[in-house]
Amino acid sequence: MFYREVGDYKTTYADDSQTFPIRFDRLRYFFVLFVAIAIVPLWIDDYWSNAVLVPFLVWSVAAIGLNILTGYCGQISLGTGGFMAVGAFACYKLMTQFPELNIVFCILASGIVTSAVGIVFGLPSLRIKGFYLAVATLAAQFFLVWLFNKVPWFYNYSFSGQITAPERTVFGLPVTGPNVEPWAQYLICLAFVFVLAWGARNLTRGALGRKWMAIRDMDIAAEIIGVDPLRAKLSAFAISSFYVGVAGALYFAVYLGAVEATEAFGINQSFLVLFMIIIGGLGSIFGALIGAAFMVLMPIVLKNILTGGLNWEPSLATHVEFMLVGCLIMVFLIAEPHGISQLWNIAKQKLRLWPFPH
Amino acid sequence: MLMEVRGVSLRFGGVVALDDVSFDIAKGEIRAIIGPNGAGKSSMLNVINGFYRPQQGDIWYRGQKRESGKPHKIAGEGIARTFQNIALFEGMSALDNIMCGRLTLVRSGFWKQLLWWGPAEREEFEHRERVEHIIDFLEIQAIRKTPVGQLPYGLQKRVELGRALASEPTLLLLDEPMAGMNNEEKEDMCRFVLDVNEELGTTIVLIEHDMGVVMDIADRVVVMDHGQLIADGIPAEIMHNQDVIDAYLGVAH
Ligand SMILES: Nc1ncnc2c1ncn2[C@@H]1O[C@H](COP(=O)(O)OP(=O)(O)O)[C@@H](O)[C@H]1O
Ligand SMILES: [Mg+2]
Repeated sequence: MFYREVGDYKTTYADDSQTFPIRFDRLRYFFVLFVAIAIVPLWIDDYWSNAVLVPFLVWSVAAIGLNILTGYCGQISLGTGGFMAVGAFACYKLMTQFPELNIVFCILASGIVTSAVGIVFGLPSLRIKGFYLAVATLAAQFFLVWLFNKVPWFYNYSFSGQITAPERTVFGLPVTGPNVEPWAQYLICLAFVFVLAWGARNLTRGALGRKWMAIRDMDIAAEIIGVDPLRAKLSAFAISSFYVGVAGALYFAVYLGAVEATEAFGINQSFLVLFMIIIGGLGSIFGALIGAAFMVLMPIVLKNILTGGLNWEPSLATHVEFMLVGCLIMVFLIAEPHGISQLWNIAKQKLRLWPFPH
Repeated sequence: MLMEVRGVSLRFGGVVALDDVSFDIAKGEIRAIIGPNGAGKSSMLNVINGFYRPQQGDIWYRGQKRESGKPHKIAGEGIARTFQNIALFEGMSALDNIMCGRLTLVRSGFWKQLLWWGPAEREEFEHRERVEHIIDFLEIQAIRKTPVGQLPYGLQKRVELGRALASEPTLLLLDEPMAGMNNEEKEDMCRFVLDVNEELGTTIVLIEHDMGVVMDIADRVVVMDHGQLIADGIPAEIMHNQDVIDAYLGVAH
């Protein structure tokens, strides 16, 4: 009953285009933000940081990036892992070549480098679509990972081929390296997610977002109403890759601290991010966040229930997890391409009419 | 003259879609193109808005010969169109589809859009206000937020017209806007077309099969058959042209 828009009339276009048009949603948003910024850092420990919150935040950035490209602009990519590797290795090179440079700039610059690489690998999208484009991006995935294994310059000729993040600070606090506190790790990722999600929301709600969606829905009609397909597609590749690159840099520098290209940025990661946006909701920033949360939390919850609660074999639990993800992907692709975020909207719609559905 | 089509020929392999077609479009008129199916009418519109490049002939627009031109550039020069088979953006609401019509008019660049606050937001509301006028004009207020895929055919046609109008075109190309409509819907559509022409001074090229509609609203008519232009004149003349009666009216009635 309390979830209502009655008395919440929209009298201006500004009100009508708000991100959270209903006052209750807006309040909840500020509440979540408050908890995330002020409460969580107080009790966060290593387990919550490393197993849950930091991976959720890092994957959120990658999922927002892929959702811009795939969900908004309709260009399929299986190269997310490879582009994350570009971000990670760019960050590593920048951190080691320019030790004076602030880590925040290193991470943003890694995004820009990835963005340039994304444009190059986006060029085929001007000629090919759908399945063929997916295969081309798959080629990018394998090529990039191969490159980072093959050329020792990228990992500074280290013996193992691993890259390790040196310690860097923000306002005197270590956010990378071995001495990092869980809450510092969490807060820097949160800051990136907050700013980047806000930017993505702004880009997708305005003219650029409409260009992308027009290309996605019908590229020929888009061209005829004045959308330049070349600029629309390449801008989607550029911006999407920027996000994915930043995610790669955070994944390497803040979350894991040390990575090896094949293991950390394989094809599995490409699929993981794709699953996130399919389950969370294609073409929705909120969906990217939910999808990331789901794919990070689901294995943990399942493992706790199946192996912890029911005493199943861990390997069996892993199989169940695979099957569950597979089924969910199929269900969402067939029944609800807009994912959990759409189910959420439908639920709200119902709730708004409750208890009188007609 | 707003536009002149001079000696345009268009072939698809062995199929001659347009064969040495020449006619002109005066500023502010409603120009109808009629002819049996496969006559080349839609191809003509596709040449006018740059989607097809003719093998021969030129298009002159506002006194200038069109050099090469990409469709998206030509849209920016004030030519908008609707399609014979509706070409809306299925994943978007009616409102967003019509907002897309204004993409050629957006001035805020990337950084302003990224920031949103200030210029980009203000501009968005200006566009929104214009679009709301179009929505009122087309009487589709109630379906603003409905995904276009869920709309009935007649309303989809209106939304598509709205999207074309949103770009504030100089020249509006309508490919069979009344096809498949009942009489009432046709009357509404005629009224919209006439109002746009009269109130905004928009030049309109309209492909239509219903001769009654053409006689009522067109200032001049081009008649095509087998890719050739067989008659060009005011509706009353066309009605009594023997070639036209043989080629088209004879078949249709
Ligand atoms: N893209 C195309 N490829 C091949 N043939 C085409 C194409 N577009 C139109 N045609 C051919 O050109 C001729 C004219 O078609 P069209 O312009 O659609 O006629 P109308 O709109 O008058 O019914 C037809 O024979 C059609 O088959
Ligand atoms: Mg046609």
